Parts: sequence; structure tokens; C-alpha cells
Amino acid sequence: MVKDGDYVAIFNSIHRVMEAEKLLKGLKLAILLIPAPRALAADCGLAIRYAEEVRGEVETALSQAGLLPGELYRKSGEDYTKVEGDL
Amino acid sequence: MKNVDVRGLSCPAPVVSVKRALEEGGGELRVLLDDGAPRENVTRFAQGRGYSVQEEKTEGGFALTITGSAELKTQAHSGVAAGPTVLLIGSDRLGDGPEELGRVLMRNFIMTLLEVAEPPDRILFLNTGVLLTAAGSEVLEALEALGNRGVEVLSCGICLDFFQKKELLAAGGVTNMFTIAESLLGARSVVRL
Repeated sequence: MVKDGDYVAIFNSIHRVMEAEKLLKGLKLAILLIPAPRALAADCGLAIRYAEEVRGEVETALSQAGLLPGELYRKSGEDYTKVEGDL
Repeated sequence: MKNVDVRGLSCPAPVVSVKRALEEGGGELRVLLDDGAPRENVTRFAQGRGYSVQEEKTEGGFALTITGSAELKTQAHSGVAAGPTVLLIGSDRLGDGPEELGRVLMRNFIMTLLEVAEPPDRILFLNTGVLLTAAGSEVLEALEALGNRGVEVLSCGICLDFFQKKELLAAGGVTNMFTIAESLLGARSVVRL
């Protein structure tokens, strides 16, 4: 479900991740609610996947709505690299 | 040697056809297919099931010769162990409770099947379950990937008709109640959601 270069946002709250999905789908952004990859522990087990092309729009919308994820990762080969710093 | 021609078919149909032919038995199988995704998916599927695959280039495509799998032959002749494992999805929601949560859980479940070691052989979608196989569903990508692993995805034709989704089926094929009944009664195990 996650391709090389994709971003995976972890929210650690089922309510926040569902709210974020509703917001982003409403904006017609190409995102997908997915099971959180096993390598990335998340209490609610859900995450939002998106590609580089929509990253700016996704994160701007989440920021404006006060829904930024707890953690953000990028798939790199078989691994996930944590994206550090302000989103 | 049995021949299967899946040229011109798009994924996951080639894998599903090859899987069916292998389950019907008959020793060696020669598969004519297109280069690219069909060639890669069928090869990966057959090798994953313990078959050996030899390929040769033909005019306009490839021919794969698929031979031997002690695992499947044993399964087919062991009586009780024979028959597919079937997942029956009779709703677009998983569990009782808030509809929104139920839909999220069902999507999450279907995507998670990609991560399990042994996904079901067949998934039957009934009633509102067919909304998951129609255009606009969030699990189409996962269903295509499952199809490429040999999982047969079938939706109830009456149900698609009822929800006016017949023309919008976007994953797997259409089936009827005869096939559904035979699938359930002939299955090694049925998991109903």
C-alpha cells in the first residue's frame, strides 16, 4: 500500500485521523487512509498516505485545521525514515 | 500439457486464470501472456506457490511453462484439506456500532489482508459489501493487489444491480447465487464478516 517515496502520517488518535481524512477528501486531495505499517507503531493503527506531489497542500490543510500528525515518515526502499522538524 | 491464453487481459485476471487452471490440476501448464505486469505477477504468484517457472519469448509476448508443486498436489488429494478458503463480506461495515467506524474498520481489514501470510483464496462480496468493489471504493488498490496474489474477488450480481453499480464494478468479477452457494458449501473454511 505504500510505495517508495510516499509519506505516511501517524496521528495516534482514531478521531483525529478520521477527521483529517474527511478534510483532505473534501479538498479532493489524493490521500488514502491505510493501516499503519507494522514498522511504525501507532495506537489507533491507522495512518494517512500521500505522495510528494500533494505534500504541500496536504500539510497546509492539516496545519490550518490544527490536525497536523504526531509523526511523519517517508518510505525509502524497505524502510521508513522519520521526517524531522516542523511540518 | 494444458494451455492458458491470457493475452490482452489486464491484472489481476491473468493470475486468477492461472490459479484456477492450476487448481484444476493436470500437471504442466503453458501460459501465453503479455510482457510487463501480467508476466511479473503470474511468475511471482506461481513461484510463491512452490512451482517452477520457465519462460520463453514469443511473438508479441511471453510463454511461461509452470511445473510441479508438491504442496498443492498434497492439498488437493487430502480430502478434508481440499477446497478453497472463502471470506464472505456481507456488508461494507465491520462490526456493530457507529457506521463511520464500521466502514473504516472494514477498509482497514481488507488492506491488512495484504500483510497476512495466507490470504483467503476467494472473497465474496454480498449486499452492501459490493459497494467495496465498485468505483469510488477506497479499497480498489488493495483488491487489485490481492488479485495479483491469486485471491479471487467476486461480487454478487443481484446486489450490484440493486445498488445500480453493475456498470461501475471496478474490482474482480460478477457472480451469481449458484456460484456463491457452491463456493460456501465446497470451501475448506468460510469466514463471514
